[in-house]
Amino acid sequence: MRYRTRILIDKLFKGIFKTTGFLVLALLGGIFAMLVYNSVSFFLDIKPLDFITGMEWAPTAKVPKYGMLPLIISTTFVTLGAMIIAIPLGIGTAAFISEYAGKRLKNILKPAIEMLAAIPSVVIGFLGIVVVSPGIANMADLPNGLNALNGAILLAIMALPTIITVAEDAIHAVPNAYKEASYGVGATKWQTLRKVIIPAAAPGIIAAVMLGVGRAIGETMTVLMATGNASLIPSGMFDSVKTMTATIAIEMGEVPYQTTHYYALYAIATVLFFMTLFANLVGEFFINRFRKYHAV
Amino acid sequence: MKKLLVVIGLFSFFACSKNSSVKMKGSDTEVNLAVNLAEKYTEMNKDFSIAISGGGSGLGITSLLNGQADIANSSRPLSDEEIEQFKNKGIEIKTVVFAEDATAFIVHKELPLDEIDLETLGKILDGKIKNWSEITSKNLPINIYGRQSSSGTHSFVKKKLKIEFSNAAKEMTGNAQIIEGVKADKSGIGYVGAGYVAHDPAANTAIKILKIKEKPTSVAYSPIDANTINSSLYFFQRPLYQFVLAESWEKVKPFIDFEKSEKGKKMIEEHGYYIIEDK
Amino acid sequence: MQYKTNKLSSVIEWGTLLSTTLIVCFFLIVIIWEIVSKGASSLSWEFISKVPSEGMTKGGILTPIIGTVLLTLITALFAIPFGVCCAIYLNEYAENNWLTRTIRASIRNLSGVPSIIYGLFGLALFVQALQFGTSLIAAGLTLGLLSLPYIITTTEEALKRIPNSTREAALAVGATKFETIKDVVLPSAMSGILTGVVLTLSRAAGETAPILFTGAAFYINGSTGYINQEFMALPYHLYMLSTQHQSIDQVRPIAYGTALVLVIVVFLLNLTAFYIRYKYRKNEN
Repeated sequence: MRYRTRILIDKLFKGIFKTTGFLVLALLGGIFAMLVYNSVSFFLDIKPLDFITGMEWAPTAKVPKYGMLPLIISTTFVTLGAMIIAIPLGIGTAAFISEYAGKRLKNILKPAIEMLAAIPSVVIGFLGIVVVSPGIANMADLPNGLNALNGAILLAIMALPTIITVAEDAIHAVPNAYKEASYGVGATKWQTLRKVIIPAAAPGIIAAVMLGVGRAIGETMTVLMATGNASLIPSGMFDSVKTMTATIAIEMGEVPYQTTHYYALYAIATVLFFMTLFANLVGEFFINRFRKYHAV
Repeated sequence: MKKLLVVIGLFSFFACSKNSSVKMKGSDTEVNLAVNLAEKYTEMNKDFSIAISGGGSGLGITSLLNGQADIANSSRPLSDEEIEQFKNKGIEIKTVVFAEDATAFIVHKELPLDEIDLETLGKILDGKIKNWSEITSKNLPINIYGRQSSSGTHSFVKKKLKIEFSNAAKEMTGNAQIIEGVKADKSGIGYVGAGYVAHDPAANTAIKILKIKEKPTSVAYSPIDANTINSSLYFFQRPLYQFVLAESWEKVKPFIDFEKSEKGKKMIEEHGYYIIEDK
Repeated sequence: MQYKTNKLSSVIEWGTLLSTTLIVCFFLIVIIWEIVSKGASSLSWEFISKVPSEGMTKGGILTPIIGTVLLTLITALFAIPFGVCCAIYLNEYAENNWLTRTIRASIRNLSGVPSIIYGLFGLALFVQALQFGTSLIAAGLTLGLLSLPYIITTTEEALKRIPNSTREAALAVGATKFETIKDVVLPSAMSGILTGVVLTLSRAAGETAPILFTGAAFYINGSTGYINQEFMALPYHLYMLSTQHQSIDQVRPIAYGTALVLVIVVFLLNLTAFYIRYKYRKNEN
């Protein structure tokens, strides 16, 4: 009897566990379906080509314009700016931690990077308003510092921990044999780093960068608070920009459900979804490439 | 196991639901006043429970449509399209006017401009005039600090001036950000509720409010002059509305009564708004 | 040709890398310094035990604190069982076929989806379709969905570390698979699982985008904590105080205080996770 009950419980829980696995699939499917359904409703009204290449985003104008180009360019500007700052800093720090830092220093630096990663995005956005904005304004003699540069700096701070952690793993994973061979032929530490280790860790480093990019593209609160939100095509880093994520956040609350503007925001979300998906898939591809070194 | 029970117990304690709570959403122009009124009213009636959010008049009205609010604060009347949408959904609403507000146009204190006529203002806001040098002695490109499209103030200004805002206009998320922006920007111009500026004594040291005249030769009126408002002479004055779901009216009525009481009216005036006695 | 090691150039190279590291640390220090120095003055027992008053220019932040605590609780109650069960399925039961690979890929992709899209999904599913309205439960469930991928991943990793021999030993004495998991595998993996859970919860506590449309309110006047009502939350409070409030200068100190409380909460949770991980590693050795 007892045995049969136990078997029954075993079967029951097997079923429960299996169901949760499928529910996760359902979740991704659900998000995807929601995005596609609403975007399709949007594209019934507006031609996709107009959407992607239209130069103006003015959904509440008398003649509503749903051109996404300013938003895509804004997101690209801020992300690019963030990467220009974060990539050198990130790889440099990763190399330092992996190759130059002693054990004690490592035990301080690694938790420090995790602490940086833990800071909520709204706090970083807040600091963008109270610290970075006046700083930029003073340095560039601008009226205020709510612009693409501000957003880029903040996004760099948010992407850095991801980049550093993954890159450091990649650099650390390069087999000692490579390093010893390099020293064996007389290379210096730096030469080894530049010509042997980094190229060997390249797939992992690219993965780190792509994951950082994915993080930066999808960030909402920081850019919402710090970039000024003007729906223009930006002409420089000191212009106010309105990213895709900020557009959704600002305008979502104001649209009645099931109107063209509502669907338009979902269309933006779909583009956003695919952009981050792409960045993450590329990152994953390279992580798999660098895993090969574990086998060596 | 015991810990789990404690957690579940704690959770059930909080999991009771309440249906007599009021949800109020909408205009940023009105939200701070609403918060103060709610605070004072709660002192008198401890059972009253309300959740207030800003987000813009558009958000408030949309929330009413979507069933996510009982009261929508709105600094503009319903558009024809919105009235249509309410009718289509079979939602009945009551309208309450609880104060009169004036939209002030502010510039930096050092800008040599004290009054402006409607046509010039319109051309500045829609981007046709791009530099202060066209109307003043200062050569600075104009920086517009505006609101997002969900803002009733944004729609109000657009409608009154019959313009579309320039794409270069910055979309700030609240009146406060606009004041901050213009305070720090010698070339800035922005529009805010007069109530915001009047209530913030610190603001007046760095910004000034423009007087508005209909034509270059008319009399210019200031939004912070009570007589002007009472005589409805300021171009950008408007009633502040609250739209209430008819089915929530009973829930909401005690609070509305408080707003109309002497205490309520006093608080409204302290916030820089005006009470126009029922005409 | 260049075998003569140039002392100077190696110092420069080391210096370059050190400076990148120092810049990153500088960011961290500036952030913490700014928040602590300007926020400490607002911190007091009253600050965390009183509700906001006078249009939120005075008083404390009790209501947002309660909101954040309850949100995190709901997130935990939803995501932990769901996530752990899914991880158990993946690690203990699933065969290595295309279905399992698809599920794993879905989880990896879900962890990269921006938080605002989770907010939209929560809006569509919990607020609209399931008719919960903008409420504590809708926002909590949305945060739960957001946390799911991370809990699944970390739990799976913790389960993987348990050697198969342990499982085989249990089965050999006659335990069913479920009993093996319940009494042998899970307890051993508990610290790894807990670490992941605590880290995930600390992230959920700081999230703003998912709660924007699912229930966060600017001001709640009285008692809070009802699951079908709106709520205040620390991150949303900080966002509002720094962008929307009427007297931005007056509330700036409160904004700093809110930021500090939020950062302290998040750091404490992270430290707890570190501690669990540290003790776990010690026991392993």
